[in-house]
Amino acid sequence: MSSEPIERRVSYLGDRLRGRRCQICGKEYFEIKDYCGNCGRKSFGKMVDMDLFYEKGKLEVCTFVNEPTNKFTKLGSYIYGIVSFHNGKIRVPGRLTDRIMKDNGETDFSALEGRYVVPRFRRRHSVDRRDVIPTISLAFTFADEYYPHQEYTVVKPNKEYDVPGIVGYGVYTSKFRIREGNIERSVPYIDEDAITAAVEAGKLALIHSGVDSSLVGKIYVGSESNPYAVKPIASKVAQVLKLGEEDEDMQGVDAVDAEFACKAATSMFKDAASLVNYPKSNIQYAMVIGTDNSQAAPRDCPGGELDLFVGFGGCAYIFGKHDVIAEIEGWYSCTSDTPDFWRRDGEPYPMHGGRFTGDPAYFKHIRKAAKKMIERLNLQVGDINYFVAHQPNVQFPVKIAKELGFKEEQYLPSLQVAKFGNTYSGSSPVGLAAVLDIAKPDERILIVSYGSGAGSDAYLLITTSQILDKRQRQKLTVKYQAENSFLEYVDYTTYRRLKLGM
Amino acid sequence: MQSRPAIIAVGRTKFGEHYEKEPEKLIEEAWLKASEKAGIERRDLEAAYLSDYFLPITNKLGLEEGFLSELTEVHVPMEVTRSFSSALLNACNAIQAGRHNVVLVGGIEKMTDRWDKIRDDLMLLEDPWSYYAGCTPEANHELMLRAYIKKYGINGENLEKLNIGLAQISVKNHLHATKNEYAQFQRKITLEQVLSARKRAQKPLGLYDFAPISDGATALILASEEFAKKFTNKPVYILGSSSATDYLTFPAREDMTHFLVSEMAMKKALEMAGISLWDLQIVELYDQSTVMEMISLEDLGFCERGKAWMNIYESCQDYKGYYEVDGRKLFVNMNGGLKADGNPLGATGGAQIFEVFKQLRGEAGERQVKSDRELKYGCVLELEGFGTKGYVYILGRD
Repeated sequence: MSSEPIERRVSYLGDRLRGRRCQICGKEYFEIKDYCGNCGRKSFGKMVDMDLFYEKGKLEVCTFVNEPTNKFTKLGSYIYGIVSFHNGKIRVPGRLTDRIMKDNGETDFSALEGRYVVPRFRRRHSVDRRDVIPTISLAFTFADEYYPHQEYTVVKPNKEYDVPGIVGYGVYTSKFRIREGNIERSVPYIDEDAITAAVEAGKLALIHSGVDSSLVGKIYVGSESNPYAVKPIASKVAQVLKLGEEDEDMQGVDAVDAEFACKAATSMFKDAASLVNYPKSNIQYAMVIGTDNSQAAPRDCPGGELDLFVGFGGCAYIFGKHDVIAEIEGWYSCTSDTPDFWRRDGEPYPMHGGRFTGDPAYFKHIRKAAKKMIERLNLQVGDINYFVAHQPNVQFPVKIAKELGFKEEQYLPSLQVAKFGNTYSGSSPVGLAAVLDIAKPDERILIVSYGSGAGSDAYLLITTSQILDKRQRQKLTVKYQAENSFLEYVDYTTYRRLKLGM
Repeated sequence: MQSRPAIIAVGRTKFGEHYEKEPEKLIEEAWLKASEKAGIERRDLEAAYLSDYFLPITNKLGLEEGFLSELTEVHVPMEVTRSFSSALLNACNAIQAGRHNVVLVGGIEKMTDRWDKIRDDLMLLEDPWSYYAGCTPEANHELMLRAYIKKYGINGENLEKLNIGLAQISVKNHLHATKNEYAQFQRKITLEQVLSARKRAQKPLGLYDFAPISDGATALILASEEFAKKFTNKPVYILGSSSATDYLTFPAREDMTHFLVSEMAMKKALEMAGISLWDLQIVELYDQSTVMEMISLEDLGFCERGKAWMNIYESCQDYKGYYEVDGRKLFVNMNGGLKADGNPLGATGGAQIFEVFKQLRGEAGERQVKSDRELKYGCVLELEGFGTKGYVYILGRD
């Protein structure tokens, strides 16, 4: 139970589905209770925390809501019900999300009841544009549908590397797509945004890496569709994912947002890697997330040409020196003040420099960064197994890959834009994830991001044998998300409505 | 023996939409009606116990007592609680403690002024997490029904009968209200209307399964047994009064198929009144939904758990004006219940008491129940929230 003003200040209770269990009698509460209702005074100090956030619940009973209360009208109609955890020991209210209800309804509740569900981190309800955005994890999807339930098990690290690298990653996209021509783009459900995608991606990265979340000492969240002009996203991610040592209601973690158009996240890879490598930082792991609900004006408006390419998704990487799956061999970044894409403060949609965004912007920077990177490490294009470039559309990355001398088998595995659209800060990171999903040990990957404004970051990575060990924990691979049988295609009107959000 | 608080007069407004009336005008009307009958003056009142849920929210009126003082020029102690039943309980306590001899109990609500946001306001009666998860004022009733169906394994033909039984509750309550001049809906509805509304809503319960939002006020004059005799030779005594409280969070309750508070309050009220269950012939239930009426029949003990729908269904096949349970007659919601009489939250309990008062005195006119036994006792169940608080009153006459 919590009141509205308190909720605004301590929002993570519902975000994380926090509760307490009495160690004496085992009674559980969806509430931070200091003592047990059964055991009374003797249970003080014997109540242990639980987060239902990573768990699987069961939809006990449900009903259909087609006349929601005012704050939920933008959701349209939805299924609302009661979800139990731990064999019915604890019950919480919840709604099913990621469900566009059909006009003819879905009234066979008994077909839904009794099924397992997974909590999803979503926007809670509509608020005024001036207000803090409330979030919640009392939104569920079925555990046997698009997002299968995955346990989060902390794995004790067994090998320390000389150089830092990637220890885990997670990709999060929605189950909705719009298909136009030969390109499919991911579309958020109406209760999703860059914040919710960041949390979900971070959650998946923790699951994949097996890293203890309390050992993550720094989190960078890169986005250009932050719903706030002022207020970090990273603080929300840190608190919900319980990063760093938790002390009272604070997390012992440094959290910061980054912004540099589509390279906001990749720019921070080197910072994260350096941080975990600095002996006195006491930071074992650092997380970098690129997340965007890529914005575009409607097609007939200025800037509307972007509406053909924008996607939605988040991608999270954890860097460290233990149980590394891909070591960082080196990096190179370049920057120039090139105004090819921008969004002024207070404007809802970005503007775009048209043809100007090709040669003097995208190609120039990627070419420079890629060549310098290869040169610095004295490599040949043939020494590199996979090439990952920023993917604003299908043509650009193919053109630059060919120009640099890469063959199809080197660049095609990373080319994901035709499946998800341009996920902006998550664009090249998703490409990298697609490669990490399939790479064998001792393979070299060159990733070159591009951010308008403009700049590129190039990284050379080399995979280790542990990439195979951890792969079994990566269920939501990029391929799985691209080819999932639960994908749902929406028309243009629905796409705009969903993208605009609550 | 403990003194019995006595109701000497009751009054009420019509329930419905009173968009032209100030809230205090409604309570004035109810009070005037009650006091006129009793031949009592406002200066005879020693205290007033009032109730409303939402006036500060719907009508931006705080300290409602002050308004009433201004209106009546009465400066006696006044208290405001949320439900008529809670006001009445405080009044009973004061009378029984000997603090006052004659008091006013009044309830008022004006919900239709804010029809655009009243459903959000109604969520104040549920826990915030349910609200945040997308709950509506109707959803818990439907979930309770789902839980009930599952728990008792009702399916096939029986499920059909249950659904029809629930619809018949609504049909029956509307029928009763045709004889109630104060009721919000004084018209009959058909089984087909109830069922097709459900179909339109694509869910277990539809428009006709729920009580409406209403404006209205109710009042009664409560006096000590001694004092009552000065005003009336037909006082109706409050023989049993009790309340109980449960978690606000419906999903956290152990049993989602009944209301613990009704069961507990009924048990204590019967003990207090010193009568047995089937001495009661007339019952006013809190039918915010048809499910609530069904569940309450079980909670109060009139029907076996998991079986009320069967009693209802069978009684309504050829409805004679009462439910029949094992050959015994039970007159339920003779005023039309919340469904048809109306449900102005803070005033609702007053209308329930009003009905039993009238019936016990044989003053219910056209809707006076015809019982083969002497009509001596009646009972009222009022709930606050979705079974968060329950109040039971047992009324009786000499």
